[in-house]
Amino acid sequence: MAINKRHSAVRLLWSLFLLAFLMAMPALTGNDSLLAQESSAARAEPGPPNTLGKRSDAEIWHDLRLGAGGIANPPTGSREAGAVINAEGWEWAKLRNPEKSPIVHYGAWGLLAILGLLVLFYLIRGPVGHGEDSGRRILRFRLSQRVVHWSIAFVFILMGLTGLSILFGRPFILPLIGKEAHSILLTAAMQAHNLFGPIFALFLLGLFVHFLRGNFPSLVDIKWLLKGGGFFGGHAPAGRYNLGEKAWFWTAVIAGGALSVTGFLMLFPDYLATRNTIHLSELIHAIAALVMIGFSLGHIYLGTIGTRGTLKGMVDGYVDENWARAHHDRWLEEELEKAESGDQARETAEEGA
Amino acid sequence: MTLLELLEGPLWIASASIFVVFAAFRLIVILFTGRREAEARPVGSPFLGALRTILGHFLPWRRLLGNGKAWFVTIAGYSFHIGLFVLLLFAAPHVEFIREKIVNLPWDPIPRWGFILSAQFAFAGLITLWVRRFVDPVVRLISRPDDHVAAGLTFIVMLTGCMALGEQSAFLRGLHLGLVELWLIYFPFSSLMHTFTWPFSRGFTGAMAGRRGTRA
Ligand code: HEM
Repeated sequence: MAINKRHSAVRLLWSLFLLAFLMAMPALTGNDSLLAQESSAARAEPGPPNTLGKRSDAEIWHDLRLGAGGIANPPTGSREAGAVINAEGWEWAKLRNPEKSPIVHYGAWGLLAILGLLVLFYLIRGPVGHGEDSGRRILRFRLSQRVVHWSIAFVFILMGLTGLSILFGRPFILPLIGKEAHSILLTAAMQAHNLFGPIFALFLLGLFVHFLRGNFPSLVDIKWLLKGGGFFGGHAPAGRYNLGEKAWFWTAVIAGGALSVTGFLMLFPDYLATRNTIHLSELIHAIAALVMIGFSLGHIYLGTIGTRGTLKGMVDGYVDENWARAHHDRWLEEELEKAESGDQARETAEEGA
Repeated sequence: MTLLELLEGPLWIASASIFVVFAAFRLIVILFTGRREAEARPVGSPFLGALRTILGHFLPWRRLLGNGKAWFVTIAGYSFHIGLFVLLLFAAPHVEFIREKIVNLPWDPIPRWGFILSAQFAFAGLITLWVRRFVDPVVRLISRPDDHVAAGLTFIVMLTGCMALGEQSAFLRGLHLGLVELWLIYFPFSSLMHTFTWPFSRGFTGAMAGRRGTRA
């Protein structure tokens, strides 16, 4: 009996202790402040806010558009906590609307115009030559330069084709091949584009390192420009690279660099960027791509059918001396001088030996 | 039977069988046909020569590091082969396919980022090496059409695999699988056989050189 009584007394004590502990819990964890706030808010203004229609819907939406939060916050700690409507996304959506976007519109027309001009130039001027070959060859590009060049050219074409499919797919390709085929094309294009992007960035770094020498501006560029680059007759002097090539190099480096950086941001949006940065990245990415593709059309034209003997230099490494005299006379002089002084040094060394 | 079922069933069995039978046949021929005994008196050890060449050829060829500046060939070679090896045997979709069709691999697949990264290494290496075949006059001269077909087919198999990464389209999956099957059929009759023959060819050249007292 006595044991039983003692038992129930202990149980009572425990229950009281537990009750006290539970009541103290909110104070211990700090959660009570929330409750307290809510109840004081309820005292000040009973019921949910704005039920009496003091503010119009338009005003509420206006506030939300300007970044007022409160209704559907993403989890705190997220980069976008507090934003319900992203007003800048509005502008982005207009620029990036697949059918009406000015980027798609002007981009398509711009590329077509460049192609048209190149065809016209070819028909009027034809390939630029350099007279007869001399039969003497001179090294223009080392093996590693040629490998870097064609590696990035290959990846660039792959990135261009897949990227243009993504940009122009909805307005131009979908009506031709239908929804099903278009969706397959686009998932394939996107996956390849995403995977090859970092490879492009890597090769771009290689291109920069291998072709930087000779691509800085110099006074002879002005003379070259005044002579119309020799494209309309006459001789235009140039060093290792002419002004047009220098412009291409820096366009490739800067636009390619912008493509790489914005591409990385879009590959890892959760870690690297906010939604607005991503929108901006996408616009810069599309514009840089169009600029680079547009310029590359001219580069590819001049590197293949536009000037006789140029392609050989990038494939075998060697060009004919007369080619060099016609297109890069200053560079040829330097190289011949170097070779001569090298020969002389060798002869002196042999004499001395 | 749909085309995909055909590719996953009978065509898979047929191509895999051709691969196994003819690759084994070629290896057996190489290993067991034998050759005439060399008659000259041996000067050095064929065994050491073979060992030195098998291992030594993992290192860059010294001449490539000198004036030729072709060190990128070694880097690209490792990048391609290791990348391809990893993605072939450790990527989740491949592990799943191999488990279903061939053997219960004992290892877990690598995470997706590892798959993508190894594919990027493999692509960068393959493109560099393939481009070099065209622009290095010496290598161009010793490249046969088979070398280009082998590189091109491998590239296309990898490219369609990468395009199917979204795992959203049966068509893309079928395209990749179909090309893998073509690759398997081409394999035993081509330079792709070096996957298996490299130790033997290195060993043989090394042994001959070792016997003559020179280096391969
Ligand atoms: C299929 C496409 C391409 C063809 C046919 C081509 C052709 C050529 C040729 C023949 C040359 C030698 C010009 C000379 O001797 O002065 C050259 C130079 C060069 N190419 Fe390309 N190319 C292509 C794509 C690219 C791409 C995509 C890039 C860059 C991302 C690029 C960057 C360069 C650079 C930097 C040079 C050195 C001249 C300069 O600094 O502008 N090429 N190309």
